[in-house]
Amino acid sequence: MSVPVSQMYTVASYILKQKLRGRKRYPFVLMLEPLFRCNLACAGCGKIQYPAQILKKHLTVEQCLAAVAECGAPIVSIPGGEPLMYPDIDKLVTELVKRRKYIYLCTNALLLKEKLHLFTPSKYLTFSVHMDGLREDHDEAVCRDGVFDEAVEGIKAALQRGFRVTTNTTLFDGASPLRMREFFDEMMDLGVEGMMLSPGYSYSKAPDQEHFLHQARTNHLFSEMLSKPKRRWKFNQSPLFLRFLMGKKDFECTPWGNPTFNMFGWQRPCYLLQEGYAASFQELMDGTKWESYGKKSGNEKCRDCMVHCGYEATAVDHTFSSLKGFAETVSVTLSGRL
Amino acid sequence: MTLEGWVPQINEYTSLREVVDFAFDYRGNTTVVKRDGGEIVGYIFNRDADAPEAFIQLFDEQGEGPFTIPYRDIATIKFTGKDTAAGNSWKAWVERKEKERALRAAASGADRLGRDPGPDGG
Repeated sequence: MSVPVSQMYTVASYILKQKLRGRKRYPFVLMLEPLFRCNLACAGCGKIQYPAQILKKHLTVEQCLAAVAECGAPIVSIPGGEPLMYPDIDKLVTELVKRRKYIYLCTNALLLKEKLHLFTPSKYLTFSVHMDGLREDHDEAVCRDGVFDEAVEGIKAALQRGFRVTTNTTLFDGASPLRMREFFDEMMDLGVEGMMLSPGYSYSKAPDQEHFLHQARTNHLFSEMLSKPKRRWKFNQSPLFLRFLMGKKDFECTPWGNPTFNMFGWQRPCYLLQEGYAASFQELMDGTKWESYGKKSGNEKCRDCMVHCGYEATAVDHTFSSLKGFAETVSVTLSGRL
Repeated sequence: MTLEGWVPQINEYTSLREVVDFAFDYRGNTTVVKRDGGEIVGYIFNRDADAPEAFIQLFDEQGEGPFTIPYRDIATIKFTGKDTAAGNSWKAWVERKEKERALRAAASGADRLGRDPGPDGG
């Protein structure tokens, strides 16, 4: 694990507070989407398929901050769209840092080098760069040649200026475990703080339904990829979540763990499924039929989902729910054996 | 398959609720035809058929909104806007890439043949 101690402490104390308060459902990471506009058009992404008038719109900084306050999660992930295309991204980040929120600014890094001067390095700010594999694999995943090289340039520039940089990788059917292991080496050689992995999910509105992973194949892929992990590989995520992806643990989804806010409101029920929108965070939490989601529910849309936004919160909660969970996390972290 | 161009008739075989669900899943603008004859073109981003007063919500073509329209005011919804998800599959991208690679390979092969003096030098 490569998460800094201060961040771990913030998350741990937040979760313990929720538990002491007896809150059964609480958010862990706010997924804040200030816009859907992007400078890429990846086939696996349903976000950029909106009509032009929607792609032109974006949230105001005030709307973003109100959502952050309403939700209360200690971590704010800013995906999109491409957040570096958001005209007020610098103001938003400054305000979030003031509020001591740990920010993961999820970017394809095409604009990173050009926009770095807008930001100040901080332990609260991490550029989480979208990298789906080695050069050829990544360029194919994002449907444009040359993106990998530009992203690498962006990463180097950000690291040089002292920013926290991680990578986020979505794996689809056909990914090669051996090539992914090479990719981990290459990212660590670049000097990133850590890597985040997740299997892809079939967005009901995404045009590509064929390349998303199903559970058995996910377990197989992650087992091959992460067996005998090198000590130098650092993952910026819960080791128990990685064990879950390898099929070594069984978790149930926590759909309220990563609530999503965008120009449409609070997305029901999770980051991936779009079944409607609530006008407030409270309405989302109180008015969503949570029992209809997750594997146990029998909902076919949830059957093959193993995505981080549903299961990483479960893994983190598991760590702090019992001594056994805590000991397991510590043991995996210290041994480096997943 | 795309619903682009579909003008559903609400009748005993096709309920308004079904049409709203299709429109909610549609990645493109639709035209909401109201019972009073008025029309509004826009993107339907929300619907709640189980609310005490079932409603849809949309942003219009200019991005103004959100506008809320109760189900009881809707006569039908026409799928008039371009389906922005249609034809943009990964499969299509991979096929395009493969075609490009094949063309490049063929071109460089032809180029080599043109310059290659051949085994006997001539």
